[in-house]
Amino acid sequence: MKFHIEVVHPERCIGCYSCVYACSRHLFNIIDPSKVAVFVRVNGTLANPFTVIACRFCKNPECALVCPRGALQPLPEGGITLIVSKCEGCKTFDCITACMIRALALDKMTNFPIICDRCGDCAKYCPHNVFKYEEMK
Amino acid sequence: MSSRILYVNLSERSSRVVDRPDLFSKYLGGSGIASKLLLEEVRPGIDPFSPEAPIIFAAGYMTGVFPCMVKAIAMFKSPLTKNLGESHSGGHFASALRFAGYSALVIHGASEHPIIIKIIDDEVKVKMADSLWGLSPLDVEKALRECSYDGMQSVISCGKAGENLVCYSNVIVDRFHHFGRLGLGAIFGSKKLKAISILGRKGIPLENPLAVKEIYEKLHHKVVTSDEMSKYHNLGTSANMLELNELGALPTHNFKESRFKDAERISGETMAESLLRRKISCPGCPIACIHLAGLKTSFAPEHERGKKEIFYEEVLVPYNYEAMYALGNNLLIKDKRDLILLIYRCESLGLDAMMMGTVLAWVTEAFEEGRITLDETLGIKPAWGDAEAYIKIIDNTVEMKNKFYAKLAQGVVAASEKYGGREYAMALGNNGMAGYITGYGAILGPLVGARHSHLSNSGYSIDQKIINQPISIEQIVDFLIDQEDWLYVLYSLGVCYFARRIYSKEVVCEALKTLGIDKTQDELMKMGKEIFHNLYKFKVREGFELSEQNIPKRIFEVQTPHGKLEFEKIKSMMDYYIKKREKEGLHLKPEAKALKELLK
Repeated sequence: MKFHIEVVHPERCIGCYSCVYACSRHLFNIIDPSKVAVFVRVNGTLANPFTVIACRFCKNPECALVCPRGALQPLPEGGITLIVSKCEGCKTFDCITACMIRALALDKMTNFPIICDRCGDCAKYCPHNVFKYEEMK
Repeated sequence: MSSRILYVNLSERSSRVVDRPDLFSKYLGGSGIASKLLLEEVRPGIDPFSPEAPIIFAAGYMTGVFPCMVKAIAMFKSPLTKNLGESHSGGHFASALRFAGYSALVIHGASEHPIIIKIIDDEVKVKMADSLWGLSPLDVEKALRECSYDGMQSVISCGKAGENLVCYSNVIVDRFHHFGRLGLGAIFGSKKLKAISILGRKGIPLENPLAVKEIYEKLHHKVVTSDEMSKYHNLGTSANMLELNELGALPTHNFKESRFKDAERISGETMAESLLRRKISCPGCPIACIHLAGLKTSFAPEHERGKKEIFYEEVLVPYNYEAMYALGNNLLIKDKRDLILLIYRCESLGLDAMMMGTVLAWVTEAFEEGRITLDETLGIKPAWGDAEAYIKIIDNTVEMKNKFYAKLAQGVVAASEKYGGREYAMALGNNGMAGYITGYGAILGPLVGARHSHLSNSGYSIDQKIINQPISIEQIVDFLIDQEDWLYVLYSLGVCYFARRIYSKEVVCEALKTLGIDKTQDELMKMGKEIFHNLYKFKVREGFELSEQNIPKRIFEVQTPHGKLEFEKIKSMMDYYIKKREKEGLHLKPEAKALKELLK
């Protein structure tokens, strides 16, 4: 089952990281705030509200455009998929820095970008409905 | 799970990692590990401010893995009690430590100049930090916050109170949380250690992820839907104010009364309606029990050109029941803004609000009685409900302006021993009392608890459950013993006290199994008891004598939901407690020979 996921109420975020932990559990069977496709970021001090970032599933994603090897392939429903064979060997990580909202993280073990697979766990575990999510037909 | 302990030596500015699978397989983490390291690392009879006196931090075994596993444990020799220092904090600290690849952090040595410890995974640095000295922990948090796109960071810091060695100074954790109560801030200060920043960017691998996910799902659901937890989310612990007032168990006027006529004006309900701005959580807990009030102050009046002020600046101040009781009803503070202002002063200086409130209450009463005069207070007239005077006293205490204020900086018991009024110096085991005058459990609990906290064994909570019930005093003592032993199991795992009812014995066994630990409920209880025994071994070794603990007379003069408490009853509860603990094989009397050795 795949979901369309959108961050709609970042101001409601309490910084519980339930979405972040759920994401790393789902993608890598690990608890790791660095190996995720959803982010709770602190802005200079915990006195400021958190920033919540998830892939926005762009129609014309900048991360894919900048990849010199075409390893990130845009999908018709928006967002990207990673063609693993094409990604190997990259040292510049242009995709990571191209995304204006920094929704891509680098998996330091494999040097691949971490792509959201639309599982919906982030939204499911959020206690305050920061995310809107609906099943994709 | 990781069994790596990071040792940092501040004198040598060096660090090393020691792997201790032996310790972790026996005690799992948190309190268990810390209790053992305490016995191993602290030389008997050591001066708390000696460079050799270590600070031990430990994360829980389940930190980050299951909901509400957020607490970090600190152990040290307390400058307030000259005995066991144990303090628990939420915030990002335990998680950041785990994500950096460590389960515990032990700090030895001291520096001549201000320094900080900066940890990014395997990179550990002791850095010069003159520029941070004298700053409020709130400014330190901003200064050390990394601009990082990944990982988890924690910044902990002492304030001016810690720098000046106030015996009940806190270490502020990630701005809104605390290692409070027993003076860890002063230990930081004595080592010239201003702050620790940890950025963790590693993961916690799961051996059996499917089983973990299944239990996580169940627990998460329970946490976000159960009535037990919704209290902490809705009003937070400040909901206690009106509940206790209704019950007649709300310490007021330095425990002279158990109801406050103006309770509604400073209650959790009032705060929520007017000043509450945000709620925040610890990582891994969906509750958000930390309630933040907006404290408005006028914005640079000289720029308002004499017109009515129309613009304000606002800072966020965390409030909870304990700080509200200590600096509110117990001091007859009836203005909600005054109360938040007093809490903010304690936060900015890094002071334990509970002990500070207890000290202020004693000062006010001692002044009324003429035990202290304007000579001692340097012209300040302490008066019930007068926040302005209280703020000046707080500042003078932190600055230790004269001998009197230097005494206040040692806590309420030390002050009353010098100036009199011990009968209303409201401390148990030398630790300022919590905001519950609920019955026998609220007194005996902190008295016998290893860290002399109301959270040691939930005595205040059992009191409220057994009103009008035929429960014997022996049953209360049995509860306190079982509860404290069990809580030490939970504190080894990292469970927050507020989630104690979620993590029943069955649940803990089931959760541990998914992490490859097969322990029965009995084995866990045995472990909890052993941790408690470890801590008492330390206490007794350092000269603590349970049977000689003082109880302020005021306790027996105030009405509680169980009537006026009787000294004889507490004494027989204590006798029964000692008998039961000694039957477990715990020696509660310091041996004369060992003590002599210590005093040499």
